[in-house]
Amino acid sequence: MYKPGFTAAALLLAVGAPIDAQAQSTSELDAIRKQIDELKNNYENTIRALEQRLKDAETAAAQADAKATQAQEQAKAASDTAAADAAPAQAAASAPTSNAPASFLSTFNPGISLILQGSYRHYSEDPAERGVTGYIPTGEFDLGERGFSLDESEITVSANVDHLFYAQATFALEDGGIEVEEAFAQTPALGHGLTLKFGRFFSGIGYENQLHPHARDFLDSALPQNVLLGGNFAMDALQTSWIAPLPVLVELGGELGMPVEFPFEDTDSNKNGITGGTVFARVGGDIGLSHSYRVGGWYMRAENRIEDASILDLDERFETGTSTLSDGHTKMWGLNFVYKWAPDGNPQYRNFKFAGEWMQRQLDGDLTTDLGGAADTGSFKATQSGWYLHGVYQFLPQWRLGVRYDQLDEGSYDLASNIDGLVEPADFTPRRWAAMLDWNPSEYSRIRLQYTQDKTQDRVTDDQIFLQYIFSLGAHGAHKF
Amino acid sequence: MKRFIALLSGLLMLAAAVPALAKVNVFACESEWAALATEIGGNRVEVFSATTGLQDVHRIQARPSLIARARSAELLICSGADLEAGWLPLILQQAGNTRIRPGQPGHLEAADFARMLEVPTIVDRSMGDVHPRGNPHLHWDPNNIQAVGTVLAERLAQIDPAGGETYRSRQADFSARWSQAVSQWQQKAASLRGTNVIEHHRALTYLFAWLGMPVVGSLEPKPGVEPTSSHLTSLVQRQQATPAKLIVRTVVNNPKAAQWLSQQTKVPVVEVPYSVGSTPASKDLFAMYEDAIGRLLAAVNS
Repeated sequence: MYKPGFTAAALLLAVGAPIDAQAQSTSELDAIRKQIDELKNNYENTIRALEQRLKDAETAAAQADAKATQAQEQAKAASDTAAADAAPAQAAASAPTSNAPASFLSTFNPGISLILQGSYRHYSEDPAERGVTGYIPTGEFDLGERGFSLDESEITVSANVDHLFYAQATFALEDGGIEVEEAFAQTPALGHGLTLKFGRFFSGIGYENQLHPHARDFLDSALPQNVLLGGNFAMDALQTSWIAPLPVLVELGGELGMPVEFPFEDTDSNKNGITGGTVFARVGGDIGLSHSYRVGGWYMRAENRIEDASILDLDERFETGTSTLSDGHTKMWGLNFVYKWAPDGNPQYRNFKFAGEWMQRQLDGDLTTDLGGAADTGSFKATQSGWYLHGVYQFLPQWRLGVRYDQLDEGSYDLASNIDGLVEPADFTPRRWAAMLDWNPSEYSRIRLQYTQDKTQDRVTDDQIFLQYIFSLGAHGAHKF
Repeated sequence: MKRFIALLSGLLMLAAAVPALAKVNVFACESEWAALATEIGGNRVEVFSATTGLQDVHRIQARPSLIARARSAELLICSGADLEAGWLPLILQQAGNTRIRPGQPGHLEAADFARMLEVPTIVDRSMGDVHPRGNPHLHWDPNNIQAVGTVLAERLAQIDPAGGETYRSRQADFSARWSQAVSQWQQKAASLRGTNVIEHHRALTYLFAWLGMPVVGSLEPKPGVEPTSSHLTSLVQRQQATPAKLIVRTVVNNPKAAQWLSQQTKVPVVEVPYSVGSTPASKDLFAMYEDAIGRLLAAVNS
């Protein structure tokens, strides 16, 4: 069982000697002999250890076969390495044998990860009656349900397709059905800092936008992200990004294609060609050993492809009434930063993260208002913005404390005279603040307690308490910076 | 116009001159491999170490600076065996650099060429942070350093053929010095053989296996899981049956657990470098080994 290693050492001695005989000085010869002897001693120790392991394996009747094979493999590996190590001593440069695992059928299986999430939610106000004053959120301003609930489960499958492509898909499973959050292919083989990505993916704009819900620092996304972008803003598109060959990160990128469910949930994409695009830039680096940062800016433009949708809730102000926006564009731009501190670059015991984002949305088009009588159409332009700041401090290895403040501004409107007065910005600033404490027994589990005071609706203060769990199973990849 | 042409031709000359002066960009995940690359590459290589000896290499964030450095690297050298699983894949995915992708000559994982210890037969996350391919802290076996050095010289020669001779001769020189140092260390550390130790994390398994020092316990109940009071209490009790003579930790571990156990059991704590740069003395691979053995000997003899 252990003989190969021993024989290898003996062989080296035998083979090594004639070659060494060519060496001019005898002292050199002695030195080499000595080295080989040491090598032999060395591996005798190893072999002894392996013998012991083998014995252990044999006594464990049930696992005897498996372990013996492993010990054999190790003995072989040991002798391989012995040969490799001896090579320099002989001044014969032969490349050591690689002991990279042989390819088994299972290695072709894609990496699969499953994220399980659930929560207990307490709202002092009825979530079904809630809204954000002055805003019709993109998508839905979904607060979730009161009481115990299972939140979306996420399945991610990823693998190299072949030598040219890598692909990844994330599906969100909810009671209502399955949603394809992301499904894209990427080209790692371009080189020169270039990456090409296509399919459906979370757009590269902003900071919070690229984080899947389980990777956020709070249970819910911040107000501007939630209300202006509609949660994670995804595109069915082509993305290119380029990283400059510099010691600091300078990344430039852009996307062309079709925004998914944007700017409205029932956006109609019945059109050939491109309906939206983005450009983004990021700069990042380190300051000393303990500090690192990244700042970014972006711009996005999307066509308001919508057939018939109410964008402003006139019901609240008038008995009946609808308003529809046709044609026009949605333009958005934003700035973001993230700063992280970890003493000596070691985030394990203590670390701090500070992040913030500002973004502005400009909706324009023709607004048709109908208050039950004759419809009236006029030009419409609304400019709305929001920002957030949040800090998360890990004060003990498994514990993090976080605080967030987020708000939206009251917005400004530029309207044609015939509809002026029907739509007015509310004299109100929707705002929230939140505090959270989470416990992370390992990288794969998180239990979080969060309190939010929500003042996003005029004359309403909603006290929210959440208890949430996030579990990650399987081949879960690393999280982005 | 003339000035423009002069400027342009000047730039072109500069651009032509750059490749001749350019060094091979090496991205080392850990500082021990950065030190090895410097030993073998000399002034033909420009080495960037992604981590320092003061960092826990399991838990590194995929920082923007690392992506930027990986972008221009021609050779990547890492421990492998999933030690960097929490950050390296993300960096490789974002860097847009074909040369250092797995399977390329510019992608070198030490674990592929090392003798691995503690290869598990069953892997489950309930066992803590276990690595299916074995304990990845393989740089504490001097034979592994030799094996990886040989491969590294070949890879460098492949990437920069003009320097092939330099790399091979530097490697041969390093190898001879290393073998000599190893035999000296073995003589020096002979008295350590059979000394029972308790480790914090299983980061020095290879060192103890090489020096013949049985590891009778770990402060971590499971690899990568912080010490708990119940586990530490069980270590105190175990001290009766299998007494340890030393508690060994590296600078990246929190000292509190080791101190507590030391107070309870009167067993001294030794802080040993984890990598190059972990201690003021460990300036290169030789000094790192020298320092570790020196500290162990000092603790045993005191």
